[in-house]
Amino acid sequence: MVTASPGLAAPAELRVRLGDLYAAYDAALDEGEYERWPEFFTAACLYKIMPRENYEAGLPVGIVYAESREMLADRIVALRETTLFAPRLMRRLVGTPHLHAIGDDGMRLSASFALFQTMLNEPSEVFLCGRFYDRVVEEAGILRFAERICVTDATLVPTSLIYPI
Amino acid sequence: MASADGGTGYAGSGAEARQWPAAGPSRVPNWVYTDPEIFAREQQRIFSGPSWLYACLEAEIPNPGDFRRSRLGSREVVAVRNAAGEVVVLVNRCAHRSMQFCSANRGSAKEFTCPYHQWTYDLDGKLLGVPFRRGYRGEGGMPADFRPEEHGLERLAVATRNGVVFASFAAPNQTLEEYFGPRMLGWFDRVFSGRPLEVLGYHRQRIPSNWKLMFENIKDPYHASLLHVFLITFGLFRLDQESSMEMDDTGRHAVLVSRRGEQRINEATAQLSAFRGDFRLRDPRLIEPVREFPGDATVVMQTVWPNLIVQQQSNAMAMRQIVPLDAENFDLVWTVFGYADDSPEMRQRRLRQGNLFGPAGLVSIDDSEAMLLSQAGIAGNDAQDCVVEMGGRDIANAPTMVTETLIRGFYQHYRAVMGL
Repeated sequence: MVTASPGLAAPAELRVRLGDLYAAYDAALDEGEYERWPEFFTAACLYKIMPRENYEAGLPVGIVYAESREMLADRIVALRETTLFAPRLMRRLVGTPHLHAIGDDGMRLSASFALFQTMLNEPSEVFLCGRFYDRVVEEAGILRFAERICVTDATLVPTSLIYPI
Repeated sequence: MASADGGTGYAGSGAEARQWPAAGPSRVPNWVYTDPEIFAREQQRIFSGPSWLYACLEAEIPNPGDFRRSRLGSREVVAVRNAAGEVVVLVNRCAHRSMQFCSANRGSAKEFTCPYHQWTYDLDGKLLGVPFRRGYRGEGGMPADFRPEEHGLERLAVATRNGVVFASFAAPNQTLEEYFGPRMLGWFDRVFSGRPLEVLGYHRQRIPSNWKLMFENIKDPYHASLLHVFLITFGLFRLDQESSMEMDDTGRHAVLVSRRGEQRINEATAQLSAFRGDFRLRDPRLIEPVREFPGDATVVMQTVWPNLIVQQQSNAMAMRQIVPLDAENFDLVWTVFGYADDSPEMRQRRLRQGNLFGPAGLVSIDDSEAMLLSQAGIAGNDAQDCVVEMGGRDIANAPTMVTETLIRGFYQHYRAVMGL
């Protein structure tokens, strides 16, 4: 048997459960069920979107910078109730997450994402691509993101980033 | 309303033939947002003309050799700190065959070497070396009368004030301080008092609209009190708050100043169909402003002709640099900053409040989307004019948000520079 990269020893069941977490997250966002988005995070989570330019330079500014599940919920209410934007659909493709460490503070994973945007009456376009750097923990039998840092390859965002990645 | 010439905006062809609407400052013709010839003239007269253009912050290049790439109008430059510790701004173009020699946004260098033929320049842009200048085994090489001192990098005039770097392609006939004027300089010094700055990060947005719409947006408090429901709801910016709109003598620079009030329902909010008295943040740390400047102003948005907006919105501060790409596209480059001696709590507060600004800002989204939709409405409607007569048809400082006077002031100066 050829083993290109042996990866981390982890029970197959855990890998299936992690896969389910990622699939459920993507499904909720792809279906526009943004109110469900905070459920995938712990109460004291860290969620950031930042260009690789900031991430690699250690600059803390995030395009989105949330330090709690409540802040994520506030963002969705604000988007739904207070914000003007042209209608669009977002679609994401997320690669198989790579589990690279299991420690006392949770599991470290990363995965690549491509985010496509379709404005009304316009063709679909690649909007952003990049990589998630995640920390997942188990709380009362449920896997949740304690940390999700979305690092975009592009230094710039086309016009506006409305919905979460 | 159609233009005075009967609707086409043309009396002939090209920018030379454009006629401003007869109504004057209370109208802006749509062709200023679309015409490539107008754009070319802007590049020549405004961005390559005697303007002081915002280039970067000194905190981005603290040590000799540190550089930061920037784009001033259509031309890329590199701001670098030279061996003597001075800020030098060089055009990012090799003097040999025009190759862009610097392709990193930031970094540190001892000298600049163009990768094409390895012409090498010092941090002042002086040409140090040309490989094979004398040829090889007596053949080839540069002519004997080639003078390296005539082939340095193009170097801009530079002026700095309290950590902010401005540069100019032409030699302005005004010092930076004269260019600002005393009133605008006072507002500038309020944020840039000499207290050392710390850069917290960058945002960049490419927005499909004319660059002037960005300035108009910030010079227009009227929209902010209607469109930005998030700001209105949390009392961060509302038309019932004490405010002032101020310009320099030319109208090219301005500030929009607001003093924060309580989140309450009153006569003003009753007119705002969008006011959400029932919306409360579940995690109020997102806002929680603290006073940090003398005086009672809580929001000061300063527009500095022709490429800078200084944002001080509660504790969220940023330089918003406007980079025109063509008549219908510009990049907005945000340099988010605080002060080097900020407490960890203040730094965190600035980062949290940053959720209101940038490409995903709960307030700024309204603006980038509004500009996209404005440009879409302008498309194909070159013969129409925009109406800017809220607050009257004159150009004067005003103690209210219900005015478009700053837009009229901007175009008064624009027309003088552009010959329109």
